[in-house]
Amino acid sequence: MKLPARTVSPGRAEGIALVSPSPFSFVGGADPASGTVLDEATGFRGERLAGRILAFPHGKGSTVGSYVLYGLARRGLGPAALVNERAEGIVATGAILGGVPMVDGVDLGGFSSGDRVIVDADRKTVDLPEVEAKPVVSAFLRNRSRFLVVRRSDRVGSFQGRWSAISGYVEGDEDPRARAAQEIREETRIRGARFRGSGEPLLTRHGNIAFVVHPFLFDVPTRRVTLDWENVESRWITPEELNGLPTVPRLDAVMQRILPRQ
Amino acid sequence: MRLTPAQKRLLKEGTGAQRKSLQLLVALGEIAGAERLVRVTSAHVSGASYKLIGDAGLEFLEDFARDARVAVPTTVNPLGTDLRQWRELGVPEDFAAKQARIARAYETMGARPTYSCTPYLLGVRPRLGEHVAWSESNAVAFANSVLGARTNREGGPSALAAAIVGATPDFGLHRDEGRRPTVVFDVRAKVEGIGFSLLGLLAGKETGDGVPYFRGFAATEEDLKWLGAAVASSGSVGMFHLERVTPEWRRARTKGLRVVRVTQADLEEVRHHYTNGTEADLIGLGSPQLSTEELREIAALVDRTPPRIPVWVFASRAVRDACPDAVALLERHGGRVLADTCLEVTLLEHRFTTVATPSGKGAYYLPSLCRQKVILDDIERLLERYA
Repeated sequence: MKLPARTVSPGRAEGIALVSPSPFSFVGGADPASGTVLDEATGFRGERLAGRILAFPHGKGSTVGSYVLYGLARRGLGPAALVNERAEGIVATGAILGGVPMVDGVDLGGFSSGDRVIVDADRKTVDLPEVEAKPVVSAFLRNRSRFLVVRRSDRVGSFQGRWSAISGYVEGDEDPRARAAQEIREETRIRGARFRGSGEPLLTRHGNIAFVVHPFLFDVPTRRVTLDWENVESRWITPEELNGLPTVPRLDAVMQRILPRQ
Repeated sequence: MRLTPAQKRLLKEGTGAQRKSLQLLVALGEIAGAERLVRVTSAHVSGASYKLIGDAGLEFLEDFARDARVAVPTTVNPLGTDLRQWRELGVPEDFAAKQARIARAYETMGARPTYSCTPYLLGVRPRLGEHVAWSESNAVAFANSVLGARTNREGGPSALAAAIVGATPDFGLHRDEGRRPTVVFDVRAKVEGIGFSLLGLLAGKETGDGVPYFRGFAATEEDLKWLGAAVASSGSVGMFHLERVTPEWRRARTKGLRVVRVTQADLEEVRHHYTNGTEADLIGLGSPQLSTEELREIAALVDRTPPRIPVWVFASRAVRDACPDAVALLERHGGRVLADTCLEVTLLEHRFTTVATPSGKGAYYLPSLCRQKVILDDIERLLERYA
C-alpha cells in the first residue's frame, strides 16, 4: 500500500513501525540519553527509537522537545523517520534540525506497530509494502434522523458479529458510489435510496489488509429492511447510540465524515 | 510556499545553517498555511536558560554556532543564572559552566548578549507595522500590542532561524486578519498595580488562543507590560487591544464578539487562585525584568520597609548598570539585583520553597518551572507582611 503524504522534513528511510494512538512529546516521552520510549500511552514503552519509523497523530508538550529529538538524531538514537497525521511546530522543528525525514497528512488508521514502512519525504509517499489496500464502501442510510446499522453474520470474511453500516468491496475500477447503491439494494432490499453525500476515505486495518473506507450517506423512504446472508440484525439509531455498540473499527469516524457539520 | 529567487538560491547554495534555517521556516510556514516569507528587521530568541533547554539544547546551539550567523539584529532571552554572581547564589559549578557555553554559542552566532526578556526596554522598538521575529511571550505581546509591530509567538529555534535568514513565514499576527480581536473584556474594576497582572491571568485563560480586546480602564506602557506578560502566560495570546490606548484599537471591530465582564471580585479571586503558599522565603521581582524606573522605585520601597526575607530583583545588565545606587540600597537590606536571568527561568529550587511576587507571569510559571509555591500580592503589601 502506497499513500500520498506531505513533506515536512526531507529524506528517505525504511524501518519497522512504532505506531502510537496518542499524541507524543519527546520531553518525557523518550529518554534523551538512550532513545528508549518512556510514554506508557504509546503502547510501546521500553522500545528503542533507533532505526524505527515512529508514527503518532501529532506532537504535544514542551518546546524543548525539538532539542531532544535533535540530540537523539545526532547520536544515532533517534527514529529513522517520522509520520504524523498533522504535524505541529515542535516535532517538525526537531526533525528538520536533526535531519530526520518526516511526513504528515497520513491516516494512521492503516498502520500497525511492526509494519515495514518506507518513508520517502522527497517523493511525498509512505509505502507499506507488506500491506494490501482494499477499497470498500460504508454507507449510512438515514430515515427521519435515524441511521441504519446492521450486525454482521458469521459467514462474512471479517469482523463477524460486529455492527457496521451497509458495506462491500469495490471491485476493479468501479465507482464507489455505484457500488454503495448496489450494496444497499442487495443487503436491505430498500428501493429509492437517494445519495446525500460522501466523505474523505479513511483507513482501518485488519491483519495485512488496510481497508480504504469510502463513507456515504443516503436518505431512504422506509425503515423496512430485508436482510440478506451478510447480516443478521438491523437497528435504526441516533448518532450518539453508535458509541454504545460493538462496531467494526472506526465506524464512528465514518459517521463523522458524512454527518452535516454543525 | 513561494520563495523569492534569492531564497531559492540560499536553499541550494547557503551555508549548512542557512539551508537548515530556511528549510525550517518553509516547513513551519506550510504547516500554518503561509504563502511566503516576510522580511524581519529584528529577532529575539528564547531558549537560553540551561535549566530549561538542558544538555539537548546546549548540544544543538554549539553545533549550530559552527556556521550560523545572524542576518538581522538579534537579542537573546534570559539565562538560567547571573553570569557574574552565580557563585554567591550557590549555583552548582557545572550548571554555571554549561550556562556560559550556551551564552558563548549565541554570541558566536552574532547575537547581542542582552539576556533580557524585555528587548523593548533596551532600545529595540520596532515601529507600527514593522515585521519582526520574536519569541518570549511577553515581548511578543508588547511588540504587537503596545508598539504595533508584527510578530507571531515564535519558538526559540524558529526565531533563531528567522534571525539567520532575515525572514519568517507570513501568517497569523503578521496579517491584518490575524490581529482582529476574538473576545471583549468589559472591565468594571479599578485596575492598578498588581491589577494588571490579575486581569492578564484572567483574560488569557478566557481567551485561550486568540486576541483579547479590553475596555474600561487606562494604562501606562509599564502597566501594559505586566498585562501582556500575564495574558500571554495563561493564554496562547500574542496580542491584545486596549480601547483608546493601544495603537490599533480603532481598527479592531468588536461587533458580535463574546463579551466577558470583569469585576473587582473576579480579580481578587484570581489572586487567591494563584496563591498556594503560606509563608514565603523569598520576595521575587521580575518576570518580566524591571525597568530602571521600576528598579529605583522598588529600592526606595525596600529602604522604607525593609523585609526580613531576601528580595531578589531581576533586571537586564544594562538596567542594573544604570542604577548603582538602587543596587547598593537593595544589597544593604540583604537583597540582590540579578542580571542576565529572570525569575522563572533561574535556579531557585536549590534554595527556596515559596516565592512572594507581584508578577502574574511569575505566579503562573514558578510552580512548574521552579517547583515553588507562590504568594501573589502587591509589592507594598508583601513588604509590610514580611517587615
